[in-house]
Amino acid sequence: MNQLRAELLKIRSTRTTIGLLVGLIALALLFTILTCTLSPNAQLLTEQDQTSLLSFGSIAGVFAALAGVMLFTSEYRFGTIRPTSLFNPNRAHLFATKITAGVLSGLVFGLIGEGLVFSIGLMILKIRGVHIVMTGANVTELLLGAIIGTALWGAIGVAVGAIVTNQVGAVITLLAWGFVVENLVFGFLPKVGRFLPVHASDSMMGPIEDKLLSGYAGTVVVVAWVLILSVIGVTLLKSRDVS
Amino acid sequence: MSYVVQSDSLSKRYGDVLAVDDLTFAIEAGTITGFLGPNGAGKSTTLRMLLGLVKPTSGHTTVFGSSYDHLATPALRIGAVLEATDFHPGRSGRDHLRTLSQAVGIPDARVDEVLTLVELQNAAKRRVKGYSLGMRQRLGLAAALLGNPDLLVLDEPANGLDPEGVRWLRDFLRDFASGGRTVLISSHVLAEIAQTVDQVLIINQGRLVVESTLEELTARVGGVVRVKSPQLEQLAGALQREGIVTTKSNDHTLLAQGTTKERVGDLALAAGVAIHELVTEGSSLEEVFLDLTSEAAPQ
Repeated sequence: MNQLRAELLKIRSTRTTIGLLVGLIALALLFTILTCTLSPNAQLLTEQDQTSLLSFGSIAGVFAALAGVMLFTSEYRFGTIRPTSLFNPNRAHLFATKITAGVLSGLVFGLIGEGLVFSIGLMILKIRGVHIVMTGANVTELLLGAIIGTALWGAIGVAVGAIVTNQVGAVITLLAWGFVVENLVFGFLPKVGRFLPVHASDSMMGPIEDKLLSGYAGTVVVVAWVLILSVIGVTLLKSRDVS
Repeated sequence: MSYVVQSDSLSKRYGDVLAVDDLTFAIEAGTITGFLGPNGAGKSTTLRMLLGLVKPTSGHTTVFGSSYDHLATPALRIGAVLEATDFHPGRSGRDHLRTLSQAVGIPDARVDEVLTLVELQNAAKRRVKGYSLGMRQRLGLAAALLGNPDLLVLDEPANGLDPEGVRWLRDFLRDFASGGRTVLISSHVLAEIAQTVDQVLIINQGRLVVESTLEELTARVGGVVRVKSPQLEQLAGALQREGIVTTKSNDHTLLAQGTTKERVGDLALAAGVAIHELVTEGSSLEEVFLDLTSEAAPQ
């Protein structure tokens, strides 16, 4: 618990996290206001249309993953991995603590991101007189899926940061994977692409795309990705020298 | 004998480079030990192996009888400063310490205490990127002191310090060790720590060259003791009768070769000669160090 407090303080005590939060809020507001205002009514009729539009808050996953990546890579970049390792020589424990911190910070990103998109988007749609066809179950799945998915992306970020300790390398790896590689794979091979982490976490929010997995299957797949990356990350962390 | 640090046949290989080669030494409690060697001699690698950061290729090392990572909360027994740059530049000095202290349950009051101890209390809330090198060195020291440790391990702590900073560090370490605690301090400049340490470990090319007290080292390799006396002729005679080579430096000063100031003092007392000054020449220590490290280098 002490070590978790220390990790959370690391997140709070620099401006990086504030910068990421400001970026998330700005992007979420901009997208929500523009799309909910400008989308023609004909594209907002079905449950899938509305869920898809209001699921943009899951972009918080990108920010949560970046914040997670920083938990390890900034330690290597600034050399604080040395004092951190001296105060916590059990590296498996250090990894578990950082993963937990990544999940908790991801929850905050998810709550803010999806909370803003959903509340403001829904308000705009109602002002426009759009008939809301989403059921209570849809809304619950969307909100839980977006928020839990974002929290899991925080964990994925931490694990990626433990694997690729170079900060620039880790950020580029993460963004290239999320925005390029997965979209290419899903575009050409959707039956394979839906098992990749971005699309699996998208499926956690409900019916936003036909070719995705079910919400439960998507959750299991994302958790599996967290576990696989964590095993690789902790193995490398334990085997590497801190020079 | 109570050893705080023990290293047994410690080796570390990076590819083709043998950074540390079969290093065996022990450090007693309550001593200040200088860990000396030129740049690239293997000092930092050795200290990192001691602290569990780098895995030895062979051999092992213990601190307080156990490997570092098997100690229960080692930060409460061992404090270490390995680099003067191990800070997030955007974090305040106080928050840097709190990220460490909270990890082992040390209260914030102790953070403020060590900040005062290293004279950084007024800069505590400033971000580290605005700190001078000397302030960063002291912040590193503050981090090492958080757990009120019995052993301090410092890797080149005087690097980049101005003379005032070096003097501050020297006074601080003397004060720290006066309570029976132990210090292991590395440097590539003997003169930097010669006035602080009780004993020295000198390594070169990863191998131990010398393990001795500073005085033994000086005497062994032909150190020079400068002694001032109003009875110079009597003193020279007393020293020469014991086989010590002396050179008259001026009307009141004699240089005694290959001995220690303790021996010169004892012989002067036995001869009833007054002494006004007795100093081991610092420059000769540096020569000793350079001789030893160049002798050990492979041809």
